[in-house]
Amino acid sequence: MFEVQVIIENKPGISDPEGATILNDLVLKGSYSSVKKIRAAKMLKFQINTTNKKAAEDTVRELCNELRIYNPMVSKVTFTVN
Amino acid sequence: MSLQPQELDYLSKKIKRKPNDVETHIVAAEWSEHCSYKSSKKHLKILPMSGPRVIREKGFDSGVLDVGDGYVVTVHIESHNHPSAVEPYGGAATGVGGVIRDILSAGTRPIALFDGLRFGNIEKDSQARWLFKNAVTGIADYGNCLGIPTIGGEVEFDDCYTNYALVDVASIGFGKKERLIKNHADAGDLVVLLGGSTGRDGIGGAQFASDSLETEDRSAVQIPDPFIEKLIIEATLEARNEGCIKALKDLGGGGLSCAISETADTLGIGIELDVNRVHTRESDMSPREIMTSESQERMLVITDKKKLAKLESICKKFRVTCSVIGKVTSDKMMRVKNNNVVVASIPAEIVANAPLLDRPSKVPAYLKELQKKKEPTPVSDLSKTIMRLLSCPNIASKIWVYGQYDHEVGIRTVVKPGMDSAVLRLDNGKYLAAKIDGNPKQCYIDPKNGAIGCFEEACRNVVCTGATPIGMVDHLQFGNPENPEIFWTFLESLKGISEFSKYFDIPCVGGKVSLYNETPQGPIKPTPLIGVLGLIEKKPLHTQKSEQGDILILIGITKDELGGSEYYEYIHGFVGGKCPTVDFVESKRNMGAVIHIIENEWAKNVHDCSKGGLAIAVSELAMTSGIGCTVSLDNIQSSKLPDDKILFSESHSRYLLSVSKSNLDSVLGYLKTKKVNFGIIGKFEGKSIAFSKSKKVIAKLSVDKAHDKWFNSLKDLVLHG
Repeated sequence: MFEVQVIIENKPGISDPEGATILNDLVLKGSYSSVKKIRAAKMLKFQINTTNKKAAEDTVRELCNELRIYNPMVSKVTFTVN
Repeated sequence: MSLQPQELDYLSKKIKRKPNDVETHIVAAEWSEHCSYKSSKKHLKILPMSGPRVIREKGFDSGVLDVGDGYVVTVHIESHNHPSAVEPYGGAATGVGGVIRDILSAGTRPIALFDGLRFGNIEKDSQARWLFKNAVTGIADYGNCLGIPTIGGEVEFDDCYTNYALVDVASIGFGKKERLIKNHADAGDLVVLLGGSTGRDGIGGAQFASDSLETEDRSAVQIPDPFIEKLIIEATLEARNEGCIKALKDLGGGGLSCAISETADTLGIGIELDVNRVHTRESDMSPREIMTSESQERMLVITDKKKLAKLESICKKFRVTCSVIGKVTSDKMMRVKNNNVVVASIPAEIVANAPLLDRPSKVPAYLKELQKKKEPTPVSDLSKTIMRLLSCPNIASKIWVYGQYDHEVGIRTVVKPGMDSAVLRLDNGKYLAAKIDGNPKQCYIDPKNGAIGCFEEACRNVVCTGATPIGMVDHLQFGNPENPEIFWTFLESLKGISEFSKYFDIPCVGGKVSLYNETPQGPIKPTPLIGVLGLIEKKPLHTQKSEQGDILILIGITKDELGGSEYYEYIHGFVGGKCPTVDFVESKRNMGAVIHIIENEWAKNVHDCSKGGLAIAVSELAMTSGIGCTVSLDNIQSSKLPDDKILFSESHSRYLLSVSKSNLDSVLGYLKTKKVNFGIIGKFEGKSIAFSKSKKVIAKLSVDKAHDKWFNSLKDLVLHG
């Protein structure tokens, strides 16, 4: 059994109102002025039963693409297998 | 993003030198079809745009109508088709944002939204379902966050939109006449950019919207932020009240390039700005990126030097970022600097006025082919057919859609969505009814009469609430205009709209043209969309449930006009036949009669016949009252048509009236004196909707079962595929 973590976030050039709001309305108001940028993301954790790590990642990648778990026009996705 | 070679030549001749890279990009953004209307502008002049209620001021992005007592209503329509086709959630939401800022830029508060949505076949195509679901969610999330009610619209599905989406958004504003922004500026005034930061999103968007969607270059994705938009609305309106705004312009397609050049050209001034002073999201943006970025939620304000401090304090209060990016000059030049280096300098008039085109047009070959097609043979089981039509996605209740929209926030919505048209309460005791309508199936078969039909349908819908149409907006959506056959359909539609508008004295107060709507399968069907505003001086129709014994009257004539009908297209899979036409004289007479009957409170309910024809309109009346209805085809004014044609013809100018026995004589007396074509076609009773001919029942369905199908089928389709 593996756990595949999928992080979905807006592509770097695209704005992120959620992250910007956390930065401006919480962090900076809390006077943590050393923080310069916050990006919000969503993480999905898939518990998957495959023979090896690569198969686990490949399956999750395939299902994310096929089932439109994210929109490749907007989002950047990162896969990590544990 | 680039200019055509002949456009580059034209520009070089005009400015007597070769434009540099930044200048080329600025001009390319402004000269894109999306911003310059280069194909359509010459022809749009035929639309009547003035009238006793119309207020025209230079630089208004929305139409303004005087509704009396010192108040005005503003209206605008836009589309966000290309962005929504690749990212439906963000595309649809930012479309809403854009049209709201157009309303705001006249100095009025947005009070309502409408959406016209079109997708591929959602019964078969999961991509179409995905686009539909996400576009609706995007609109709901954006409008609901802003506290602006989404009070109506329409949804339609057709194979011609496969892998594509038409997302049209209209907005209505309301305000005091004296508070309208009188756009003007003097040398020395300051140019301020207010709102969200400028980033790389949507660079080249206007150009993108003017290219066909076949390329993989899909960079124009924008992220909606309704909370900034809300702050901008409040900050702008307060700045207006404090006299801080001399001129106001929304940043939409073409970004700063467009807003600056158009403002300077319209006001006859020059503007000098420094890209270095624009607040950007990323630090390494080049001047041309800043000038063409289409980042959302930004407004351009021209203010007096003395008022700057006040404007800044208002922005600070609402936590809206604002930066002074430049100043007004008297030399009519659009000058862009990067610190002290001038990177672009062209007369604003040249940037803002693209060379207009004379595109060739030609009658499409497909029209001849359609005429040759033999009309289908009648169905055998009419009851089953009515049931199938009630559950067809184009006819079934759109409750799944408007149920997600907050349509009551602002407490103006006195007639809610789901009826013929929604009605808003205005502060001067009057009411405003509004509706948008389109019908690509009919416009494909006959672009001119189809467009007239859309216009009449929108009018019928507002008339059904008791309102008199006072203005319209049009949104003309077509494929690639370089194709003469497509351009012909555009011209025909425009002619139709203009004829109707002139005859009925309903001025066109705004509109939009969206061309290059091409899908991988080819061009979309001609899709003109008409929005009509109607004014009710006293009070709107107070709809009551029809009860046992109430009489059903049909106003209008049912003709052999089934081209583009749901019956032909959905049931028979047949494209062709005769498109319904509007008899202007009769149309006007019927409208007047219906308004008079509503004003006198003689009718319990009024409903127009449109998609699905008489059978569907009768069923809708019965279903919403939860009572059966018996209709006899013998009393219907028609030219001896077969049963299926009488039931499903989509002839225009027809209204159904539910009248109680006590008011029957008044209604009949009035209709006779006005020489209105009508028939007493049935009465409300029992638990079934039944149609009979020569005392023989030809179709019968249970009201409850019909209601269940009609009410739930679209939702079931979306949620369970």
